[in-house]
Amino acid sequence: MRLAALLLLLLLLPACSPESQAPAPDAAATAGPLVVYTVNAPLGWMAQRIGGEAVEVRFPAPADVDPALWSPESETVAAYQGGDLILLNGAGYAGWVARATLRRRALLDTSAGFQDRLIPVEDATTHQHGPKGDHSHGEVAFTTWLDATLAAEQARAVAGALADTRPADAETFATGLAGVESDLAELDHRLADAAASLGEAPILFSHPVYQYLGRRYRLNGRSLHWEPDAHPGAGEWRSLEALLREHPARLMLWEAEPVPSTAQRLKALGVESVVFAPCGNRCGDDWLGAMQDNAARLEAALR
Amino acid sequence: MSGAAYLAWRYLLHHRIKTLILVLSIALIVFLPIGLRVLVRQSAAQLTARAEATPLVLGARGSALELVLASLYFDAEPPPSIAYAEATRVDESSLAEAIPLHLGFRTRDKPIVGTTLEYFELRGLHVAAGRMLAVLGECVVGARAAAELGVGPGDALVSSPETVFQLAGVYPLKMRVAGVLAPSHTPDDGAVFVDLKTAWIIAGLGHGHRDLADAKAQTDVAAREGGRITAKASVVEYNEITPENAASFHFHGEQAELPISAILARPRDAKARALLLGRYQAPDEPIQVLRPTAVMDELLETVVTVESYAVAAVGAVGVATLATAGLVFLLSIRLRRREIETLVKIGGSRASVATVLLSEVVGVTLLGIVLAGVLTLVTSRFGEAAIRRFLLS
Repeated sequence: MRLAALLLLLLLLPACSPESQAPAPDAAATAGPLVVYTVNAPLGWMAQRIGGEAVEVRFPAPADVDPALWSPESETVAAYQGGDLILLNGAGYAGWVARATLRRRALLDTSAGFQDRLIPVEDATTHQHGPKGDHSHGEVAFTTWLDATLAAEQARAVAGALADTRPADAETFATGLAGVESDLAELDHRLADAAASLGEAPILFSHPVYQYLGRRYRLNGRSLHWEPDAHPGAGEWRSLEALLREHPARLMLWEAEPVPSTAQRLKALGVESVVFAPCGNRCGDDWLGAMQDNAARLEAALR
Repeated sequence: MSGAAYLAWRYLLHHRIKTLILVLSIALIVFLPIGLRVLVRQSAAQLTARAEATPLVLGARGSALELVLASLYFDAEPPPSIAYAEATRVDESSLAEAIPLHLGFRTRDKPIVGTTLEYFELRGLHVAAGRMLAVLGECVVGARAAAELGVGPGDALVSSPETVFQLAGVYPLKMRVAGVLAPSHTPDDGAVFVDLKTAWIIAGLGHGHRDLADAKAQTDVAAREGGRITAKASVVEYNEITPENAASFHFHGEQAELPISAILARPRDAKARALLLGRYQAPDEPIQVLRPTAVMDELLETVVTVESYAVAAVGAVGVATLATAGLVFLLSIRLRRREIETLVKIGGSRASVATVLLSEVVGVTLLGIVLAGVLTLVTSRFGEAAIRRFLLS
């Protein structure tokens, strides 16, 4: 009888308790340095300067690729998935991001705050399907950081996201941001002074990547599609000579040192080659130093 | 053991078949209402656990139950679409994290769920083989779906259109299986997960084709005007996303306008939850926000009502069974008249004889109750797993 009573008592106990699946506390807010992935070197520099030891910046693009056009392997995308924060340049930079599966929460478009100031690419091709189909959107220029004031806005977005992710280090991030803003303001003044000495004089850009530089510093520039490591063909030289007749430039900005024969022939045409590296990928150890080197080369060429 | 109990025990052992039938009848009549209640409670707990793990669900106004069932169990018609901008709206409110879901497509008979990585965090899903989604065109497969479809990492699955009438515009997409999820004993086990953008490609809202600016693609071009190219309707679209053609995939139109079926929202805290609920209360608000627990509780109330009717019916049958058992005992006394007279003649008092007969009844009843208890314990121990295995996963 006692056994039967015990069995009946067991039956009256709740059959099971509901599973508790409250979201786990956000580890990023508490322990270790924040793991920050970036899609280019400028954002990596900003994150490191702003975050200091509170962040661990990772930029896995190989040194010999243009990060804007790079497409990472699935394993690298998986590594990005592990980041507490993924800094995007926006403006269509690093198109692979649109084709990758990344945590929405971790993504930060650092140029979202100045969408209205992005520069459309003039010769971009769009297409539509059928006479009434939606057409794809035109492309915009993406080397936003060459305008130091826009770079500063990107840095502020980075600092804000870092502080949101780890409020405990907000003061560190604010201090770091002040330093970055100061550095970028100095670079801005230096480039503005160099550009002022250039005035309205026409210049050439070896590649259409200097749109923001040109707009910010009022450079009277025209773009070619010349690669520094390639020898321009006869047609390209003819096009250049024709361009020089209507746009008599005495200076040409290059992304990297052009092959000597190209530099010599340009010199023969009265055009001096100056390297102004956008530094989307790593430019030595210090991105800011590389940008200052750009400014120094420009200043020297204008002296 | 007293003499009366011993005699009763020997009698029951001697008439094994009759005793067994009586014990089984009593056991079943005791077990059925209690076991049914245990099973219903366990089912309710399982359903509630899924709902409790889903703080809020947002979707188009309409049937709340269908929205919750489709979003949590992938087991109902997909609700009317809402714009992806609604997920951004939730995120930008800073009150909650939005996890968009795109439902409606299948691969064979398994639902394809388009979502983001945050879904796997919410559900605590982990990859058991292979790896998580990384690029467009990949899928991860629930444990049961993988077993039933016979696929593993590196294999391929082909999507099928939402309905057989969608012959135009929606092309099957060959998806690579990136990984297989560990069993979770939830509806996730039976689903195939893709990135939200892959779901849009399956829906025909994004596609890849040859670069129309390329000279080799002239046969696909209907018109060229400056930088704008109009493609012919016959332009061949890729039905598989590979590393070689991935860069050609694109969407026409704003991402904010692309459709999703529902949003799972994780509020920051209780206050944010209340504020978010309040924001969608306007009568002209096209979006409804639901607490899945509330919706499931309503459903379970109906289940409990049905259960009460079932228990009442079983109770009525039980009364009839007990009456029959009583009748069996009474008839048995009449059949045993000579045996009883013998007991009296050899010196047994009428009280002793009555005690022997009563001991038989008590013995049979006790055995029945013990058996019912064992059955209920078994149900209680294994019912939950059986429900997860056969009903919920």
